[in-house]
Amino acid sequence: MNICGYYPESINEGEGLRAALFISGCRHYCKGCFSPATWNFLYGEPFTPEREQEIIRDIAGNPLLSGVSILGGDPFFSAAEVSAFLDRLREAAGAISAWIYSGYTFEELTRDAKSPEYGLLSRCQVLVDGRYVDELRDPSLLYRGSSNQRLIDIPASLSQRGIVEWRPTFSF
Amino acid sequence: MAMMNPVYTSRQDMLDEVITLGEEIVASSNLEVLRENANLNGESFSGKMSKFGSEYAKWYANHFVMPKPLVQAIQDNIVYVHDLDQYAIGTTNCIFIPFDKLLREGFNTGNGSVRPPNSIMTAMALVAIIFQSQQNAQYGGVSANKLDHDLAPYVTKSFVKYFRKGLDYFEEGDSAADYGLITMARSDLQAQYPRAFKYAVKETESETLQAAESLIHNLNTMSSRAGGQIPFTSINYGTCTSIEGQLVISSLLAATMRGLGSGETPIFPIQIFKCKQGVNQQPGEPNYELFLKAAECSAKRLYPNFANLDAPLNLMYYDPANPDTEFATMGCRTRVLSDRFGRNHLSGKGNLSFNTLNLVKLGLEHGIALGLRQTADEQGFYRELEHYMDIALDGLLHRFRIQSSQKAKASDFMMREGVWEGGEQLNPEDTVGELLKHGSLSIGFIGLAECMKAMYGKHHGEDADVYKKAYNLIAFMRDYCDRQSERHNLNITLFATPAEGLSGKFTKRDRADYGEIPGVVDREYYTNSFHIPVYYNISAAKKIELEAPFHGLCNAGAISYIELNGSARSNPAAFLRIIQYALSQQVSYFSINHPIDRCSGCGYEGIIGASCPSCNASEQDVHIRRLRRVTGYLTGDFQTRFNAAKQAEVRDRLKHST
Repeated sequence: MNICGYYPESINEGEGLRAALFISGCRHYCKGCFSPATWNFLYGEPFTPEREQEIIRDIAGNPLLSGVSILGGDPFFSAAEVSAFLDRLREAAGAISAWIYSGYTFEELTRDAKSPEYGLLSRCQVLVDGRYVDELRDPSLLYRGSSNQRLIDIPASLSQRGIVEWRPTFSF
Repeated sequence: MAMMNPVYTSRQDMLDEVITLGEEIVASSNLEVLRENANLNGESFSGKMSKFGSEYAKWYANHFVMPKPLVQAIQDNIVYVHDLDQYAIGTTNCIFIPFDKLLREGFNTGNGSVRPPNSIMTAMALVAIIFQSQQNAQYGGVSANKLDHDLAPYVTKSFVKYFRKGLDYFEEGDSAADYGLITMARSDLQAQYPRAFKYAVKETESETLQAAESLIHNLNTMSSRAGGQIPFTSINYGTCTSIEGQLVISSLLAATMRGLGSGETPIFPIQIFKCKQGVNQQPGEPNYELFLKAAECSAKRLYPNFANLDAPLNLMYYDPANPDTEFATMGCRTRVLSDRFGRNHLSGKGNLSFNTLNLVKLGLEHGIALGLRQTADEQGFYRELEHYMDIALDGLLHRFRIQSSQKAKASDFMMREGVWEGGEQLNPEDTVGELLKHGSLSIGFIGLAECMKAMYGKHHGEDADVYKKAYNLIAFMRDYCDRQSERHNLNITLFATPAEGLSGKFTKRDRADYGEIPGVVDREYYTNSFHIPVYYNISAAKKIELEAPFHGLCNAGAISYIELNGSARSNPAAFLRIIQYALSQQVSYFSINHPIDRCSGCGYEGIIGASCPSCNASEQDVHIRRLRRVTGYLTGDFQTRFNAAKQAEVRDRLKHST
């Protein structure tokens, strides 16, 4: 697995200050994608155990973070590896919240409860879902690009077997 | 004529200087002179007029007034005398205005007397007049240290008026009867006269909001100092817990968020929200909702900044019964709280003047950066540091004697109305000296980071040992100020200088003298006070942790900033978390910088790259106004108003995100 970006602190990819990790590789090929270079699974740098440790240490040692955000590419094309990363992160840093971005919808990701995709989804708290649709682009949207994309509260949606949208803790 | 300062010898040289000064101003040929102050348009007629005055006044002070060692230290590029144009005439720097007293008793601006206001609308209008009148009596900022407490009584006055009117309109009671003390908290009146009460609440809320809007508009439009600039105003608030005080705070925040005429971010007044545990820091505390609203406003407008009443150096003077003991600041960061003569409160006094030391040059002379020695010559460094602190202090004391010998009539409004506490007891011909001793004389510093680089090859953000040395250096300076306070029986304090005009001046001269030295003299500016350099990659938490201990040392004031990239207004959680973390680390005064761009085509505000994300207009076709903060103050557009050094600093700021 390659990663194509890491921001130790960001306010643009989810609520609070979050570490943002970008996983290389995507097969959605959305028209108007802002970073088509990241479609390539070999783009960026290899996610070596050393690099992973560095990032885990970084996140565990930052008292200001509200959590981690995982983006891409689309992390669900590397679901098993990303799940393993989250497990190791939580082993070191405790119960840390995870947001995850995908071109797949919540419905697509929950079709098979035994799939690695489902496994990754269930490890996260908020899903930003759906392909980017250029015609629905709206720069005023919170944490996403086009209006078809949703912010989904994963634990609530899984337990209620239906979509529960995520609500901000503070609404300015 | 006074003795010519012997630093200069040739009369012809002096004449040449005077002529060049004038020519450069007339022709707008020296942008560094014209843009020294980002809030003054030096290319306008009134700006040029004021430049003529100030440039000549500086020249005069240099040649005929200042002690020779001070002039020499300025020439050596180690000491900087701020607001040198005011040195010879004895003006003072900044002040916290006792608005409560001025509004309660009425005042006279010199051209006419003003009765105490009977409504919040009038009170807020008078606040602007008082700011403007006072601004002309001094050269630095004017600040309200507790505007919520000061204005709450006038909200009550408005409320009483509307309540009595409502009793009449709705025929609920006798409008002239005695109801005791009528306030917005009187639930018994609310129960007994529900319609009149509700009407009075609605009208009072709407009047207070309008008053706040007009105050902010006034403070962004009125001129002072012969039209040269708008007053440098700051307002502090956040701790008044009466319904009326809370209404003042929420209205100021709402008006600020609403913005000016076309919704743009107001440049003035600088706003500071005072944070206090038990009052506004946790859910359930009386003003917590207002703290959230302040964070929201700050995310949208860069203001308010946050003052930490719980930081130890501020808490030690805090008396919950007296809001005048709550730490507040001039927007740029000035702190005057303790007074060796017992006035341990804020209003009615201010800073008198400050001189700043160029730590970088001392570091260059005694460090390893020039390649002349293997290890830093710390003994030599400290010997010379103390020598120049002596010179800087002598300059402050010399200037203080000039200031003290001024007659009360020279700062007419300030003294006659008791804006400076006790001034009202002076006759116009009396000198002000005895009163000014309550103010502070401050020694400031700039470029701790580059100084450490020059001394040891690393700055204090890069290395734990260097950090200790940096801390000890500033502790040494503080200790010097404390000792001199005792010796001279004056309030001598240590200042983390907000070096706007200065940030590039020291550097330019040092570069001419030493050439480009990597990490020390390779940028256009020196790093502000004790800050970790803006270009250094460091997490927000770490920056806060490293800078916090310096706040405790700088008793004349300091600020820490975090730079955020991205649209802060959409992420309040991040904003709140960072603010409260800084407060928990004992940072005394804190703010978050984030870019606010505004498309003049469609009015979109947020982050704008080469083209507007909302209307797609490109920067070539429409003007993108890019608002940035400089030394605590905002300026309209950093690309047209900042001097070159500050423009460079803004470009270099490394964001703690994305």
